Amino acid sequence: MPVVELAGVTKAYDSKLAVDNLSLTIEAGQMFGLLGPNGAGKTSTIRMMIGITIPDSGQVRLFDKPFERAILSRVGYLPEERGLYKKMKVIDQLVFFGELRGLTPEESKRRGLNWAEKLEIADVLQKKTEELSKGMQQKIQFICTLLHDPGLIIMDEPFSGLDPVNATLLQDVLIDLKNQGKVILFSTHRMDQVEKLCDSICLINNGKAVLAGKVREIKSRYERNQIVMEFEGNADFLKSSEIAEAKNYSGHAEIKLKPHGDAQKVLHEAASMAKVFRFELVEPSIEEIFIETVGGKVDA
Amino acid sequence: MRNLLLIAKREYLEQVRGKAFRLSTILIPVLFVVIMGVVVLAGKNTAVGKHIAIASEDPQLAARVQKGVLDQKELKATVDIYAPAQPSMRDTLLKGLQDKSIDGFLWVEQAADGKITATYTSESSGDIVISNVLTTSLNDALINDRLRANGVTQSQIDAALKKVEVQTMQVDKEGKIVKSNGVVSYLKGYIMALLLSMTTMIYGMNVARSIIQEKTSRIFEVMLSTARSGDLLAGKLIGVGAVGMTQIGIWAAAAAALAGTALAAPLMSGEYAVHFTWKEGILFPIYFILGYLLYSALFSGLAATCETEQELQMYTPLAAVPIWLSFSLIFLVINDPNSIWSIAASLFPATAPIIMMLRMGSQMPPDWQFVASIAIMIFTIWGVLWFSTKLYRVGILMYGKRATLPELLKWIRYS
Repeated sequence: MPVVELAGVTKAYDSKLAVDNLSLTIEAGQMFGLLGPNGAGKTSTIRMMIGITIPDSGQVRLFDKPFERAILSRVGYLPEERGLYKKMKVIDQLVFFGELRGLTPEESKRRGLNWAEKLEIADVLQKKTEELSKGMQQKIQFICTLLHDPGLIIMDEPFSGLDPVNATLLQDVLIDLKNQGKVILFSTHRMDQVEKLCDSICLINNGKAVLAGKVREIKSRYERNQIVMEFEGNADFLKSSEIAEAKNYSGHAEIKLKPHGDAQKVLHEAASMAKVFRFELVEPSIEEIFIETVGGKVDA
Repeated sequence: MRNLLLIAKREYLEQVRGKAFRLSTILIPVLFVVIMGVVVLAGKNTAVGKHIAIASEDPQLAARVQKGVLDQKELKATVDIYAPAQPSMRDTLLKGLQDKSIDGFLWVEQAADGKITATYTSESSGDIVISNVLTTSLNDALINDRLRANGVTQSQIDAALKKVEVQTMQVDKEGKIVKSNGVVSYLKGYIMALLLSMTTMIYGMNVARSIIQEKTSRIFEVMLSTARSGDLLAGKLIGVGAVGMTQIGIWAAAAAALAGTALAAPLMSGEYAVHFTWKEGILFPIYFILGYLLYSALFSGLAATCETEQELQMYTPLAAVPIWLSFSLIFLVINDPNSIWSIAASLFPATAPIIMMLRMGSQMPPDWQFVASIAIMIFTIWGVLWFSTKLYRVGILMYGKRATLPELLKWIRYS
C-alpha cells in the first residue's frame, strides 16, 4: 500500500515555480530520500504533503486516502528549522506536544520518559529548553516528532548540527523504526548522508523530479567507471590511455575511466610498475549521478 | 477545539508563571497610586514658596489685595507690598525678578482720568493660577474701595462680597437627587480609562510579541503540522486575554479586600469618596475584552509580517493613536458627556472603551448606547480578525525579510 502519493503536484510563489508537476510514491516499510540541492523545492513539497500549504494543482494522498487533516495524527514531522518553546520545561514541552497529537497527559509523560531514556537525556527533563545545548534540543524535537508513534515520519535535514555520536544514535533509532514497519521520509541536500540508509529516492532540482526509484536500480543503471587504489612505486600507469582523469594523493589514487575504459588493463599496467595494495572498482555516488543527470547545472 | 484550548492553556500558564506577570501585577497598581498621589499633592500645593510683590500708589488697596491672595486656600505664596509705589520701583522689581528674589509682581496704577490698570509680570508665561487669584483679589479690593467711598460701611461691604459656593447635585436614574462631585467623577472616569488603556495596550502588544518570538524560534512549522493556523491564533488570543482578566481579577480582589480596611477609609467616605457601581464592575471587563481583542487582532496580523521585535516597534505609534485620541477628548467628554461628539467617540470602535469609561464616571450613558457600541466593536473585531488571520496564515511561514505592502496584499489573496 502506498503511504504517500503525490500526483502532478505544483506550487508557485509569485512567478517562481517552487514545485513543478511533481509525482512520487512511497511504499509502506520504506526509507525514502527526497534529495536535491538547496532551494530545489524539498521543503515546499513536504509542506504540501502535510497540509501546511495547499498545492495549486495536483493531488496529495496519505495512507491511500485523499489528504485530510485528521490523518495528521499518523504523521510525525521534524522540520528543517527546529522550533521549541524556549521558556518551557522539557517535560512540559513533551506533554504539550503529546496532547496536541491526541495523547492523554499521563500517556505523553510516560512515552516522553521512555524516549528520553533511550536518547540519553532523561536528566534534563526538568530543565528549561533554553538552558540546553543545540544537540540536546534537537533530540527533544526528535522525541516530539515520534511521541505519538506515527506511521509516517518526515524528517527535513535530520542530522544537521548533530555530532557524529548523536547522529549515529538517531540513525539507529530510525533503522529500528523502519524495522517496525514505519515509513521514513528524509529530505536533505547532503545526499551522501542518507544514501546508505534509503531504499528509494527521488532527486529533485528546480521543483522537478530528475531521478526516482530504488537506490540499487538507479546505481545499477550507471557504469562502474571509477577506481580507488592504493599502491607504492612508479605512478606512470596513471597516464594510461584508458584513464580520463586521475588524482594521486601519495599512493592513494582516485581514477575515472574513459567511457567503456578497461579496468583490467589499468590493473595490469599498475601491477607491472608498482606494488598494488588495493584496487576497487566503485559505483558512482548518488551525488555524482545527480550532477551527471542535471549536467552539472545545479541551482544551489 | 481541543487543540485551541490546549494552545490557550499553554499560553496562559507560560505567561502567568512568568516573572513579568508577577512584577506587573504588583508594580502597576503601585505606580498608579504613586502617580495619582503626586498629582493630588501637586494640586494641593500650587505656588508653594512663591514670592510675589504687589506695588500700588494706594497702600490700602495693596494691603487688601495682599489679604485677598493670602486668604485663598489653594495658594500658599509669600506676598510683599511696595506702596506707595514710585515709578522708579518698577526697575527695582524687575531687577528682583531677574535675580530671582521675587517670582512675579503686580503693578497697579491709576491714570489721571481715574482709570485703573494692572499688570502682572513674572518669569513664567503660564502662571494661570496666580494671575486668576490676583485678578479676583484686586477686583474685590477695588469694589470694596468704591463702596466705601460711597459711604457703605465695612460690615455691609463684607456681607455683600461674601462668596456663595454653588453645590453640584445630580439626578440619578430613579429620579433621586444626590450630591455630586465633579472632581470625583473626573477622577473615577480617569482611573477607569487609564487602567483600561494600560491593560489593553500591554496585553495587545503581548500577543504581538509572542507571535514574533514564535516566528523567530521557528515553532510554527511544527505547530502547523498539528493545528490549524486559525486555532493557533485564536488559542493565543484567548490565552493572553485570560492572563489579562486574571490580572484585573487580582487587582479587583485586592481592591475589594482593601476597601474594608482603615487604609481605604479616607477614599471610601468624605468629600472625595469614590464608589463603583455593579454596572461599572460588569462593563469594565467587557470593554477590556473588546478593546484587547481589537488591539491584539490588529497587531497579530502586523506581527506576523515582521521579522523582529524592533520591526514591530515601528507600528507602536499606531497602537497609541486611539489612546491619544481618547485622552485628548477627556475634557469635552467629562464636561458634556451627552454631546454629539461624546456619543460619537463612544461608538467609534477605536475610542469606545476609554470614552465609555470616562462617560460612566460622570453620568451613566443610556443602555442603547452600550449595546450599540459593543455591537459595533464586535463587528469591527470580526472584520479585523478576518484580515489578520489571512496575514497571519502566510506571514508566520515567511522568513528572511519584512513584507512590503504589495506583498501583503498578495498574501491576503493567497489565503
